[in-house]
Formats: sequence, structure tokens, C-alpha cells
Amino acid sequence: MTVLDALIEVREKRDSSLGYRHSCGMGICGSCGMTIEGVPRLACQTQVSILKTDIIRVEPLHSMGVMRDLVVDIAPFVAMHKSVRPYIMRRNIDERDNSDREYRVLSEEVRRFLQFDYCIMCGLCYSACPTVALDPAYIGPQAIAQSYRYMADPRDEGWDQRIDLLDTSHGVWRCHVAGACSFVCPKDVDPAKAIQMARKEVLKKRLLRRKARVGAQPVPLSSSGVVKQGAKPPPLDFGEGSVSRK
Amino acid sequence: MKKEPRYKSGLISSLNPFGYNVERWSYALHRVTGVVLIGYLMAHIFETFELSMGNTAWTNTMNSLHSLGPLELVGLWIVAGSALYHGANGIRLLLNEMFGKLMGRPILPVYPYSPTSLGENQRIAVWTITGVVLVLWVWAGLYLLTGLRVV
Amino acid sequence: MVEAIDHDVIIVGSGLAGLRAAAQVLSLSSGSGPSLAVISKLALMRSHSVAAEGGTAAVLYPEEGDSLELHAWDTIKGSDFLADQDSVWKFVSLCPEEMRQLERWGMPWSRREDGRIAQRPFGGHSYDRATFAQDKVGFFEMRTLYDKLQEHDNWSRYDETFVTSIVVEDGTFKGCTAIELKTGRFVFFRARAAVIATGGAGQLWKFTATSASVTGDGIGLAYRAGLPIEDMEFMQFHPTGLIPRGILITEGARGEGGYLVNSKGERFLERYAPSKMELAPRDVVSRSIMKEIGEGRGFKDEDSGLSFVHLDLRHLGREKIDAKLPFIKELSMKFTGVDPVEEPIPIKPTAHYTMGGIRVDNNGRVLDELSQAVRGLWAAGEAACVSIHGANRLGANSTAECLVYGRIVGEDTLRYLASDNAHPIGNDSSFVASEEDRVFRGLFRNETSTEDVYVLKARLKEIMDKSVYVFRDEAGLTNAVREVRELKDKYHGVRVTDGSGVFNYNLLDTLEVGVMLELAEVVAQGALNRRESRGGHARLDYPQRDDVNWLKHTLAQRTEDGPSFSSAPVRITMWKPVERKY
Repeated sequence: MTVLDALIEVREKRDSSLGYRHSCGMGICGSCGMTIEGVPRLACQTQVSILKTDIIRVEPLHSMGVMRDLVVDIAPFVAMHKSVRPYIMRRNIDERDNSDREYRVLSEEVRRFLQFDYCIMCGLCYSACPTVALDPAYIGPQAIAQSYRYMADPRDEGWDQRIDLLDTSHGVWRCHVAGACSFVCPKDVDPAKAIQMARKEVLKKRLLRRKARVGAQPVPLSSSGVVKQGAKPPPLDFGEGSVSRK
Repeated sequence: MKKEPRYKSGLISSLNPFGYNVERWSYALHRVTGVVLIGYLMAHIFETFELSMGNTAWTNTMNSLHSLGPLELVGLWIVAGSALYHGANGIRLLLNEMFGKLMGRPILPVYPYSPTSLGENQRIAVWTITGVVLVLWVWAGLYLLTGLRVV
Repeated sequence: MVEAIDHDVIIVGSGLAGLRAAAQVLSLSSGSGPSLAVISKLALMRSHSVAAEGGTAAVLYPEEGDSLELHAWDTIKGSDFLADQDSVWKFVSLCPEEMRQLERWGMPWSRREDGRIAQRPFGGHSYDRATFAQDKVGFFEMRTLYDKLQEHDNWSRYDETFVTSIVVEDGTFKGCTAIELKTGRFVFFRARAAVIATGGAGQLWKFTATSASVTGDGIGLAYRAGLPIEDMEFMQFHPTGLIPRGILITEGARGEGGYLVNSKGERFLERYAPSKMELAPRDVVSRSIMKEIGEGRGFKDEDSGLSFVHLDLRHLGREKIDAKLPFIKELSMKFTGVDPVEEPIPIKPTAHYTMGGIRVDNNGRVLDELSQAVRGLWAAGEAACVSIHGANRLGANSTAECLVYGRIVGEDTLRYLASDNAHPIGNDSSFVASEEDRVFRGLFRNETSTEDVYVLKARLKEIMDKSVYVFRDEAGLTNAVREVRELKDKYHGVRVTDGSGVFNYNLLDTLEVGVMLELAEVVAQGALNRRESRGGHARLDYPQRDDVNWLKHTLAQRTEDGPSFSSAPVRITMWKPVERKY
């Protein structure tokens, strides 16, 4: 039995006014983050038996505004993520949006950032971080880890902008390596590691005056994907009016 | 839409390491010892400044210090421990933060999860520091509090 | 007083199809483009699309032996010839572009040695065309699309806002009513165009692979507005669902070489699908598993009373499992304590995908009962039925459909807005007031009854699990229809017991159960009407496929006394139906 099962039992059988979020029940959507026995965890994958107590203390996530019972306000957390510009940036935007080619990326290169892409945005690391508890403007371990995920992606060319976003008074320098973020992360994203690696990148630019790494060049496709034999596929045709079925 | 106040944020929460990993405990201790050292620095500057105010002022300051009795030595012992811990842990943090050492490389997570930043190397460093600091602190304490000179 | 919020385009549902449509609308419009709103009853990135695991099918390497015709043929044969073949052709020809576009947007596809996108074998496909990203393809696709949306500022997100009804008057979409969970406010979204992309209805069953949020809301919206919904009796039961809850173990496990083994230790699929074995389409495998269990060659779990068979991955070795199937190793260890490297995984068929949905045409436009497109309304993804998947969906085709149709719908919406056809935002309608009444006063003030909505929900799930499962028969289905109708009557006496306005999940549950009961009646009655076995709908009393009488889509429309059924022909343009053997 998991803590989430217990909460569902409470709402369905005893008190229908208990507020909590849940969706997938398998630890991939990140809805059910809450503080269980003092440590932020996902309720759907916390077995009651490992808590070794008869009375379980469940609280809303720390450092977030409480809206009802166990439902917290994740808007600041989401806004921090958006503020680090977590998307592929290319100098030539047409290459990214209007081309028909793909980038060639080797498995080793994928492995350099894949771990940080496992983030389900559950907010546990943000809640566990002692700096977040003290400073509401700190961007948080999740945002920095995502910023590093894009810095390490060979397809990204936004290194300079990302360094500038991290090198602020509420940015990467506020981390003091308490490691609580990595400790509570349910998907082993290891944000503490990402933050230190991000710091190294910042130092590379500021102290060592390194230039930005150029992103991978798009490679021509081995074929354009158009069928060789037989009928050609129809163009993207919307027709006018309705489509009537005969 | 009004913003709700953050639940259990603030100084006490950030320093509360119960249930967390050993690195978070060392973070709390690092912060506390840092405050102790700053406090000691202020007190020390003030005390030594009295030297320039003449012999009487100096003797008075010394007397008020000595009037604390055993508390003075215990206080100095705490400061000694703080300096030892803060310095040694600081070296570990320097390695972590500035050089990215002891953190491990990006891996493909394999369940059951064990983050590399809290892994073997980091733990060896943490416990070695704790061990060395404890030994030196006990040694300092023996000398300060009992006058015993070992080695 | 109901607050009205105006937008040009609203997208209801924020899964793969919804986010892809939003990304398309934003990419094609410049800064002063249409005002876009994405409405979801969950926070973004919490949608069930993140749980998709196996892969996304596309013809990426036609020079290596794959071809669009092969993909189309696999899909049509897999659908038991109920798919509309021109829709399938349009779909397969657009898949490859989507994979490459996602890749350029940052998707971490798994790669071959030379850095090109890798693909792996999947059930029902005669070529290895399932593009995969470890075994969390849906999650990474959602991450990529969500991150892409962070680039744009000119859109509004309405998280945790539950749409209760859509307003369609004179064949035109006017707007939709919604409840903002954060404040309890009832709002009316007025829009010129809307996309319904809310997903399927897997939660009708108890043993299901779907999240708690997959309650068929969008399909219910169209149904309640009087629009026809199509092929609802076809529910896909994915063969490998983890005991005891039904959590999905991806088909990729079988694609990488896993075996399905019964209690005698034999790979029983040899008897049912000798050429494809474990990679036969999902309905064939599910039926095989249920037959084995029915004939006594399954195992039984004491705690839950469920019977199961084994999925054996031990011969793959630790390295392969850690590299290619890490997520299912995590799920199996977390929820059953079984390490797939050491022991076989206990699995049973689980309710997974709703082949049916809102009736749409090839551009995603919603059709009414006269096959005229409703102006300003589209549907995409699992909530829509084009129909590409017919009676059974092949693995890896759903994520592909969401992406392709998300894109088509996004573009079509913009073309509609730019054309003279686009209608101005309408005035408030009287419908809104009556809807507010239904939601708030009706459900809250029902003083006289003691019906508990959660008891009704549990009972509904039990009935569906028992009678409307992999194998169905006349007696079970008749019983199911009768019981569902009883539950529907009891629902009128349900009262919302939580009086708060803020995050009232009790109200949300009550509204969801209302929709679930209506859809369950459509599913059960449709299954009872269809006297044949085809794809995911298998009747013990009519075990053969009947192309003479039943090669048609089922359409259901809402009336006061329940669903009224009609039919629509299947569009066959390329291949005539043949016997489906694997």
C-alpha cells in the first residue's frame, strides 16, 4: 500500500474534502509531491511499510504556497523553469523550424545530457533546497539542471545566453551543495551534479574566456522520405467545406 | 490573485536537516560554524582593539573575559571546532563547486537510483573530514579544557 | 454572474496532441497572431501522455526496405480492416516529418552507431519502425513539446480548469464553460476555434494502464453536445499490464525479445500467432493470454485474486535491460518487487487505448450527424476517431497519430481563422446559465439522497472489468447495460459533500463520473449491438468477423433515453479486407 492509496481511501470513504493532487500513480507525472515524514516524496511510490511508523505525518511541500490541504502553488516553480529559456536555440532559426533534415548525434553525446532530461517537474528538489527556503528569488535546482541539459546538448547554440541567465545574484552562485535535491529526486536527475557542471561552464566563460561551443551541424538525410514506388502521398490538403462520407 | 505565503520556508527550515542526507547535515553545520566564526571575528577585533586603548582598558577586557570562568575556555573550544570544521569542509566544497570534483559524471540512471553526486567519492570525503576534524577537536579540547598536552 | 474570457483559439487538453497543436499554432503565427489558450484539468506536463513508453512509428528509412505502403498496410490489417484507408495514407505520409521535427526541437531519440535515429521492432509492424527514446518515448515527446512552448509568450495557460460543456449552436462552435479549480469560479470561454484533445476513457475499467485523469471528458463533451461519437465499443486491452494495478509494461519489452510464458513454461503464442509470436498485434496477444488463463494455464495472485501469466526478460541480460528498458525495470521493482533480470514479470491484459472517439474527418474537423463539419471545432489524438486505428490500434501508432493530427489541426485552425468563413466571437448564450445551474445548484443542493459517487464509480469499474473486457458475450453485455443504466439513475441522486470552492476534487470526481456513466452505456450497448468479433471487440458467441453485415463504423448520439445508434461506411480505397492471420 502506498501513501497515495491511503489518501485516496480517505477521500473516497471518510472525508471527501481532503485535497491532494494525483494522476498517473506510477511516478512519471509528478503530481503527487508532498512532504511525508519530513522529507519531500512522491506519494504514489512511497510504500507505507518503509516509513516504519503507525501514524504518518503528511504535509504540503515546503517552500511553496499552500492553496488547500496538500495542494500547493507550483506557479513560481514553473516560472523559474521558463526563465532559463529551456529550449533548443540555434543561430539560424530556419534550420530548426523549417528544414527537413535531422541532426546526427552520437549515443555518447546523448548520454552527456540525457540524465538531466529525466526531470518530471515534480518540484521535490525545489522544496528540499535550503536556499529556496531562504531566498524566494533563487531559480532553484530544477531550473539550473534544465539549463545545463540544454548547454550540454550538442544541438543547442545558446551557450552564451544561458551563462548570462545563470550568472546572476539569484542564479547558480546561490547553491551551497547541500545535495538535498539529488537526495529526494525520484528519477535520479541528480540536479546537484548538474548545478556544479553548470558552474564550471560559467567559470569557463568568465575566468578562462572560452568561446561558445558551436552546435552540431544538421546533416543531409539519407533520403527525403518520399515513397519511391507506387502512389505519391497526397499533399497536406484541407479542402473547402465539409467532407461528406459516401 | 493573491500569493499564498510559503509553507515552512525561512531560516529554521533551511537549517533543519532531519531525514535528509549527510551532505545536508554538513551544510547546516557549515552555516552554523560560519556564523560562529563571524561572531568570533567581531569579538576578536573588538577585543584586540582594546589593546590600542591603553593598559587599563586591556586589563579590564581581559578580566571580564576571565570572569566567565570555564565558559571562556569552552567558548574557545567551540570556536576551534568551528574553524576546523568550516575550513576542512570548505576545502571539500571548493572541490565540489569550483572544480566539479567528487560529483561523478552524467550516467544513465539505473533503478534503484543512487545519485553519483551523493555517491562513493563524496561520502568518503565527508566522513574523512568528519573523522579528522573530530580527532583534532578532541585533541584541542584536551589541551584547552584540561591542560593535557598530547603529542 | 459568469465571467467570459475571449480567445481566438482554445485547446482543451494538454497531452501530446494538444501541445503539438499549440506548438503548430504558435510556430506559424507571428507576434500579433491569434490569441491562444491551452486549457487542461491538470497542470501541464501531468497529462497521461507522459506515461507512453514504447515508441512512435514512422517510415524513416525507406531506402532500407521500409515503405509508406508497408506502414499503411500494417495499420489497416492491424485495424481488422475497419480503418478508413485514405486517412491512414495521409497519416503514414506525415509521420516521418514529425519525428525529424521533434528531433530538431531537442528530442533525445535513441541513436544508431552513426548518429542517426534508431528504430526497433514492435508488435504488428512488419518492419522495425518504432522510433524510441529508451522506453519513455511519450515522456520525452511531452518534455520536448512543453519546452518548445516555453519559447513563446503570446499564449495563455489555464491550468487546472475543467471544461464542463461545449456550446455548439447552428452548427457552429461558440465557446465552452469551465470551472477554475483554483477559485471555484465558473467561466465561459468564448472562442472562434477550439480543439478537443483530452484523451480516451481508460478509467472506465478498474484494471487499467491509464492515469486517474483519463475519464473520457472530451468525448463526453461532444456526446453531450449532440455530436456523434464513433466506434466506442472498441477498447484496446494491452497484453502486458502489471499486477495488481494494471500499470503498463511496454510492448517494447517484447520488441527487444521478451517471451510470454504460461504456467507450464511454454511460449504459448506459438498456438495463436505462429509467425509473429510475441510481436503479433495487441488484440491477438490479449486474447491468447485470456484463453490460456481460461484454460487453467495461468498463475494466480493471492492478494488481489487476479490471474496472470509471465513476461520473461531474463534472457535479455542486465545490460540490455538497463540500456533499453530501464523504466519498466523501475516499475516492476517499485510496484511488485520483481527484478526483471532475476524473475519473470506478472502481467495480464489491461484497458489501455480507446480506439473510438469524436467523429472527425481527415483534417480533424468534428462532424455532426449529417456528416457536415461543425464550424470552428476540431478534435485530435485519442479523443478523436478519424478513423485510423479501426478496431485495433498497432503499437507506436498512437503517439504518431497525436503528433500528426496535432499538427494538422493546428494548421487547419489558422487557415480557418484567416478565411472569411471565420465567425466572430458570439454573445453569451442562455445555455451558459442552465449549465451553471446544472453544475452548481443541481449537484450541491441534492439534499434528499445518500448516494455516494465513489461507490458508483467503484461499481461501474467492476462491471466493466467483468463483462466488457477482452472476451464478451450476450449475457454479460446485457447485464452490463442494465447495471450501467441503474447506476445512471442512481447518479441523479448524488450530492457533492465538499462545500469548498477552492480545489474541490469531490465536485470534479462527481462531474467525471457523470461522463463516465454515459460513455459506459455507449460502450456496453455498442458492444451488445455488434454481433461479430473484430479487433479489440471479441464476442464468444459470435467469434467470426462478419464483413457482410458489420464492415461499418458504429455511431452513437445522445438522446434522453440513452444512446441512439446508427452507422457509417468504412472508406476502402486501397486494400480489400482479407483474413487476418499472423
